[in-house]
Amino acid sequence: MISEEQQDQAALYALRLLGADEDAAFESELRANAELCDLVRELREAAGHVALTAPLQLPPASLKQRIMREIAVETERIVPMPTQRAAFSWVPWAIAAALAVFCGLLAFDRVRLERQLADIRTTDPLMQTTFFALAPSAPAPADAKATVAWQPGRQSGVIRISNLPAPQPGKDYQLWAVDAEHKDPISAGIVRVDKNGVAQVRFKPVEKAEHVKAFAISLEREGGVPKKEGPILLVGTT
Amino acid sequence: MAETSSAQQMLDQEMIARIGRRDQSAFSALYDRLSGPLYSLAMKMLGDPAEAQDALQDVFLQIWSRAGTYDPEQSSVFSWTVLLTRSRVIDRMRARGRRSRVVVASTEDAPTAADASTVESAADTAEKNEEAVRVRYVLNNLPSEQREAIELAFFEHLSHHEIAARLGQPLGTVKARIRRGLLKLRERLNNL
Repeated sequence: MISEEQQDQAALYALRLLGADEDAAFESELRANAELCDLVRELREAAGHVALTAPLQLPPASLKQRIMREIAVETERIVPMPTQRAAFSWVPWAIAAALAVFCGLLAFDRVRLERQLADIRTTDPLMQTTFFALAPSAPAPADAKATVAWQPGRQSGVIRISNLPAPQPGKDYQLWAVDAEHKDPISAGIVRVDKNGVAQVRFKPVEKAEHVKAFAISLEREGGVPKKEGPILLVGTT
Repeated sequence: MAETSSAQQMLDQEMIARIGRRDQSAFSALYDRLSGPLYSLAMKMLGDPAEAQDALQDVFLQIWSRAGTYDPEQSSVFSWTVLLTRSRVIDRMRARGRRSRVVVASTEDAPTAADASTVESAADTAEKNEEAVRVRYVLNNLPSEQREAIELAFFEHLSHHEIAARLGQPLGTVKARIRRGLLKLRERLNNL
């Protein structure tokens, strides 16, 4: 049970209106009260949406360029460039020339291969399969992963999961297809892992999913839910 | 909930995970999705395009460097970025020793002459943003005294003491208005 005073504090905390001392005191209260934690999270979400009521204005395009340049510079800084030059400075040019010739040959070969691939695609069902790599999202273990092989034509797929520990009693893992044409993720059923954290399951979403952009696994109530409620553990696009 | 429907939340989380792995294309996509609402927030609070742009730049550089620390258990990606934006803007407001120049009279503010062209070009986008329209509708339908207290707190970052002084109301009344308003907002957004 959350008292009215706690609700007051939660609302002020969600809006960042508490002073440093009050903040610290309330945070220690939060650590001991899961229900209060949930309330704060929900109030923070609600408060976040207030931002959407500001009259919409768009930043100038130059700002994005500025930011992208900044992160590119930062990324380059992380990868140190070799500094030795001098006598062998012609070597990169020679390599570049050789690569250019090689690329020309590859481009020619690519056209031929694309034609062959188009022929195979029409006959081989495996070629009509799209693969999704699902990466962990907290609170899943960092080494948990999954791969989905999805056949849109057949509206079915296979998921293989590894390193995902069995959920606590009363919970199940549920697979979802995120489709561009649907507002909410489409349930693709419950997935049960073995004692080694491994599962390989064939699935079929409960609704037609013709434009799947991603697959995700969430932790839900035992038996599954019609609409996602729990936290996402694994998610991935193609 | 509105802007952060489940499907959108999943895609946002996927983008943040990719940004954590230094994926610039995911960063670019997230920028395209969120820069409008976040810039609008910064503009509403700071009222100055140059300052708002600087704040937005700080926010996105923070997203780039801190994507790995994002915790989906705590908030949606959208709320997380709103929180980062408010923090950066509040820091700027404090550093310059002043409050927002924007008077929060209504959520349907008319654009000023200086920014009319920007707002006009953005208006099409705003209309397409169905979720923003719904949230605005929900907020506008809160009792006016609750909406006013929330807006003063959110956009002007006035403390509950300052709001009480501004409105000439007892502190307890202001706290109750903020609490009731936020609880109602949560409930109505959940039912959208």
